[in-house]
Amino acid sequence: MSEPFAPGDRVRVARVHPPGHRRTPFYIRGKEGIIERVCGEFANPEELGYGFDGLPKKRLYRVRFRQKDVWPDYAGDPGDTVDVDIYEHWLRSANTKARK
Amino acid sequence: MKPDDQEPDNTRFTSAREPGRGYHDLGGLDGGQVDPAVTEAKPWEKLAVVIGNSLGAKGRRLICTDEVRRTREEMGAELYNRLGYFEKGIEALRRLLIEKGMIDAQELEHRMAALARRIEEEGR
Amino acid sequence: MNDEHDHPAHDHEHHHGHAHPPLQPDDTSPPGHYETMILAMRDLLLDKGILTADQIRRGLENLDSWQPSRGAEIVARAWVDPEFKRRLLSDGNAAVAEFGIDMGSARLTVVENTERVHNVIVCTLCSCYPRPVLGLPPDWYRSKNYRARVVREPRKVLSEFGTRIPDDVAVRVHDSLADLRYLVLPRRPAGTDGWGEDALAALVTRDCMVGVADPQVPNAR
Repeated sequence: MSEPFAPGDRVRVARVHPPGHRRTPFYIRGKEGIIERVCGEFANPEELGYGFDGLPKKRLYRVRFRQKDVWPDYAGDPGDTVDVDIYEHWLRSANTKARK
Repeated sequence: MKPDDQEPDNTRFTSAREPGRGYHDLGGLDGGQVDPAVTEAKPWEKLAVVIGNSLGAKGRRLICTDEVRRTREEMGAELYNRLGYFEKGIEALRRLLIEKGMIDAQELEHRMAALARRIEEEGR
Repeated sequence: MNDEHDHPAHDHEHHHGHAHPPLQPDDTSPPGHYETMILAMRDLLLDKGILTADQIRRGLENLDSWQPSRGAEIVARAWVDPEFKRRLLSDGNAAVAEFGIDMGSARLTVVENTERVHNVIVCTLCSCYPRPVLGLPPDWYRSKNYRARVVREPRKVLSEFGTRIPDDVAVRVHDSLADLRYLVLPRRPAGTDGWGEDALAALVTRDCMVGVADPQVPNAR
């Protein structure tokens, strides 16, 4: 898998819709946000759902999205956010500059 | 009302406008006013929670949370939208336990019929 | 009915063909399809020795201990004890274990309301909820309307609960879809200086800890 992300990194959620048990909700796929924190490593629920052990563990990140970046018609405050816990394999770097 | 015993409903998605959104994947959909009424779980609903917890408990781990979620996501939109929360949990448990060979669909049916008959004759 | 199966634990409560104590003594209506199903499933699991009656009984007792009052006690402690609050925010599981609460494999994550941020919790995919500290999730939390709308129009949904968040306070929705279970630590209301923990805990409703309400001092000016 890719290099670990760090808090503050800009990331984009993959815009894919694989069938089966997924814990990345439809509304956040393809959206850009910031890593708010590294939550730790956990067995992969997408495999646990089918009786596998879900190992090796995957890194889980809390990703913070500005609501106005998620919903085109968002009517609340510009500071409003939605935080979603997303597994590493759903995230791509969205940095516009090359990573060091 | 007894649900159909046919093959699981193949319509996985909430609508043709959003192919790829499972029927359980509700974030962002339109909806009505949230009804604030709270009802206490009935004893049989609590029993369902406890059986699920017990089967998945540390040291036993006969089932896991994600398997139950997955079977909820596979029962088809019709059942998912019609059944109540705890009913969905029981339906998911039924499918999962049959899938794992822990119980047999027919023996469950027979036991249900016998139980229903006995309750009718003897009362609760 | 003969017991043809070996039970791993021979408990005194054999269930074959015997009447069970009524689950709902006041309810004389015939059980629905799913009530019958879970009762039959219980019988089968007991017959096969997959579960014991004792495990189920202990499980029901444990479930009954899961109440919002526990979460309220924890919030009240965090309000009066800054060191406990620090522990709660850094490791929720360890902190609530001080109250004898076992979060199991879930990771309790406490998010603090401040004068700049108001947190609200949802699980859009199912109904994940910090059950050991709040009990079973209420009907509205599990509802399609809440799960669909609170991520998209949280201020409107909160206003339907009678909660208006000012414009200079950001609303932060947490969609708890993984192993983290979120609990909101609401702000301690003004006018409660010197209050004991019991009185403070009484202000903290379940709705405050999910984030659709704020604690209210009765008869506040």
